[in-house]
Amino acid sequence: MLAIINARIETVSNGTIDNGQLLVKNGKIAVIGTNVDIPEGCRIIDAKGRTVTPGVVEAHTHVGIGEQGVGWEGQDTNEATSPTTPWARARDGINMLDSAFDDFRRAGITTANVLPGSANIIGGTSVAVKCKGTMVDEAVIKDPSGMKAALGENPKSVYGGKGQSPSTRMGNAAVMREALLKAQQYMQKLDNAKSEQDKPKFDKQCDALLPVLKGEIPLLIHCHRADDIATAVRIVNEFGIKYTLEHVTDGHVVVDLLKSNNSLCAVGPTMHYGSKVENKDRDFRTPIVLAREGVPFCFTTDHPVVAGQYVILTAGLAVGWGMDWNVALRAITLSAAEHMGIADRVGSLEAGKDADLVIWSGDPLEFTTFADVTVIDGEIVFEREVQ
Amino acid sequence: MLLVKGAKIYPVTGPAIESGMMLINDAGKIEAIGQNVDAPKGVEVLDLTGKVVLPGLVDAHSHVGIWGDGEGSPGYDGNERPNAVNGKVNALDATNPMQRSFGSAREGGITTIQIVPGSGNPISGLGFACKTAGTIVDDMVVKAPTGLKGAFGENPKRASGGKRAPSTRMGTAALVREYFQNAKAYGEKKAKAQADGKPFDIDLNLEPGLMVLNGEIPFRAHAHRHDDIVTVIRLCEEFSINFSIEHCTDGHLIADYLGKKQVVAHLGPGLSSRGKVETANYTDRNPAVLASHGVKVCLVTDHPFLDSRYFLAYGAVAHKHGLSQEETLKAMTINPAESMGVADRVGSLEAGKDADFIVLAGDPFSYKSVVLETYIEGKRVWERPSY
Repeated sequence: MLAIINARIETVSNGTIDNGQLLVKNGKIAVIGTNVDIPEGCRIIDAKGRTVTPGVVEAHTHVGIGEQGVGWEGQDTNEATSPTTPWARARDGINMLDSAFDDFRRAGITTANVLPGSANIIGGTSVAVKCKGTMVDEAVIKDPSGMKAALGENPKSVYGGKGQSPSTRMGNAAVMREALLKAQQYMQKLDNAKSEQDKPKFDKQCDALLPVLKGEIPLLIHCHRADDIATAVRIVNEFGIKYTLEHVTDGHVVVDLLKSNNSLCAVGPTMHYGSKVENKDRDFRTPIVLAREGVPFCFTTDHPVVAGQYVILTAGLAVGWGMDWNVALRAITLSAAEHMGIADRVGSLEAGKDADLVIWSGDPLEFTTFADVTVIDGEIVFEREVQ
Repeated sequence: MLLVKGAKIYPVTGPAIESGMMLINDAGKIEAIGQNVDAPKGVEVLDLTGKVVLPGLVDAHSHVGIWGDGEGSPGYDGNERPNAVNGKVNALDATNPMQRSFGSAREGGITTIQIVPGSGNPISGLGFACKTAGTIVDDMVVKAPTGLKGAFGENPKRASGGKRAPSTRMGTAALVREYFQNAKAYGEKKAKAQADGKPFDIDLNLEPGLMVLNGEIPFRAHAHRHDDIVTVIRLCEEFSINFSIEHCTDGHLIADYLGKKQVVAHLGPGLSSRGKVETANYTDRNPAVLASHGVKVCLVTDHPFLDSRYFLAYGAVAHKHGLSQEETLKAMTINPAESMGVADRVGSLEAGKDADFIVLAGDPFSYKSVVLETYIEGKRVWERPSY
């Protein structure tokens, strides 16, 4: 058992508790409040007035599959051998010993969604993991957490460059639509089959897409440019499937579309440079406008495109641009958890949720603040040496 | 004439002045600065009460204007790849003042930059110093050239694609050594011809090498890994040439050695995601560790690799990890100005220098202290928009 006392607790879901206590049992938050009985024998951390927040949640990363400081040997982000690889699973490529996981813990990031890259129209399944341990299977929160998809420059440059389809945005959309349509027809044949013999021959492409067509997991669609965002929404609405929008660089341009569809948006990497034409207008204007218009959004670094630990810096910069402090903190915790569909487990400090939390040396969003203690599932996974 | 008053002014080369005054003449130079200055009657007043004024930031290693920014390949002019030894190319001839990256620099509070060619070649070409506002690059130049760029480590051996030398670190060092040997022999011949009054054929490729050997400009050597840094020092000592280490990522591993050698280090890009093996040891502590060992520390964006807009956030992170506020400010102003040989004009707020300054909402290195306005030579070149 672990108790944190004398803390300013930012619950995110239920306001701030000054001079509060938080009790952890079996890796879960047992009680939270200002008058919590601390059982005997409990390990006590005195926060001495410091702020405690939920562990930071990063909804779009390639941590562990796009390893840092390693070179091509550690690059397992894109199975770029076919434009549709829905059967690929990020979980099978994650090196939990990627030094980025250490950086994440040091920065207070406790949960990450790990997605395949954007070379393919359908890239494979993502997995939500805790940033702990050496075995991915012991770190998984939810697998699959979604099916990665991509529109815009990346797929057409990868396959167009090989003389294959897709080589245009028209091709991108056609490949995506065709893959979904085939899977839909496959699903209908399976549903209609009265006997084993009636069933269609096993098709690994269509089979892997069934959870998307059944609405069990969302399609996570990489889209930067306004028209790619519109194409994404058009296609998913044709099939009536769940989805999220990833990057959404031009989101402010099509904010009415996002609003009317209540689209979940992972915005970023805003701090990245103009590496492509489609991200030329990346700017804090995007999250500011989405927040103002009530479009659900979270921040992402797209680690390692921007190093994941700076997602907190992103939230601070957004406040500098006028975003409400609480909205910015939510955008790297609960909103990210909602984006990933795991808000029942993480993203806020509430009784019954996983005991993932951070004790900060100051204002959590301040540039010069350290994560002093990072806790995942009730275990201290990082403790800063005070110099 | 313009009188700035009311703000807390950090001249950087002297103590901060609470509610200071700064008089700017029509030539865009600082006429006087202090607690109180005599201003002519009827002078235009810029009241910045409650705000903070810093010198315009100076970035000693940037590819603004030559790297493309959300433009794709047509805007990419960073590396003249076909030749490994490229003394004759000059970043000045490829700089596009209308590229949006210059706007990013102004937004980030950067008013003077050294634009250098990329690191694809062991001898990469000439760099120069310019202001970040204008339409004709020649009008923006502060000093040209300000250095000969060279590169060690992964980039030059990779850029060759195995089709020409160098393909190893040995090859890179050999090409650089040979270049300076050739430049030395060329210089001797040139001097003899001039002494004898004989005609002499100019070699554009060797002229910059001769300038380096004559102490007119330093060698700006890209080196991340500790042994590459040591190789640069070895080579430069062989030829008794001045140099700066560009990037110096592993500097913290050999800080004693670099301190003893009184090295000038251009540290960056900050907030790195360790994209290469040679950057695996990147740490936010590097500036503090090197400064504490007597290395002359300059923070650099290496734009686009850290977007110029986030230069102050990089400073904040360096400060967080142990570089004092005063040292951090110097590392972003006067130190790089001295390294570039332009400290007579920029890098601090002193009478006689250019009136390049930025207005912050508060003391630097907080998310609350955003850049509100950027001035170059007394003229406002950027103002914070409202989203």
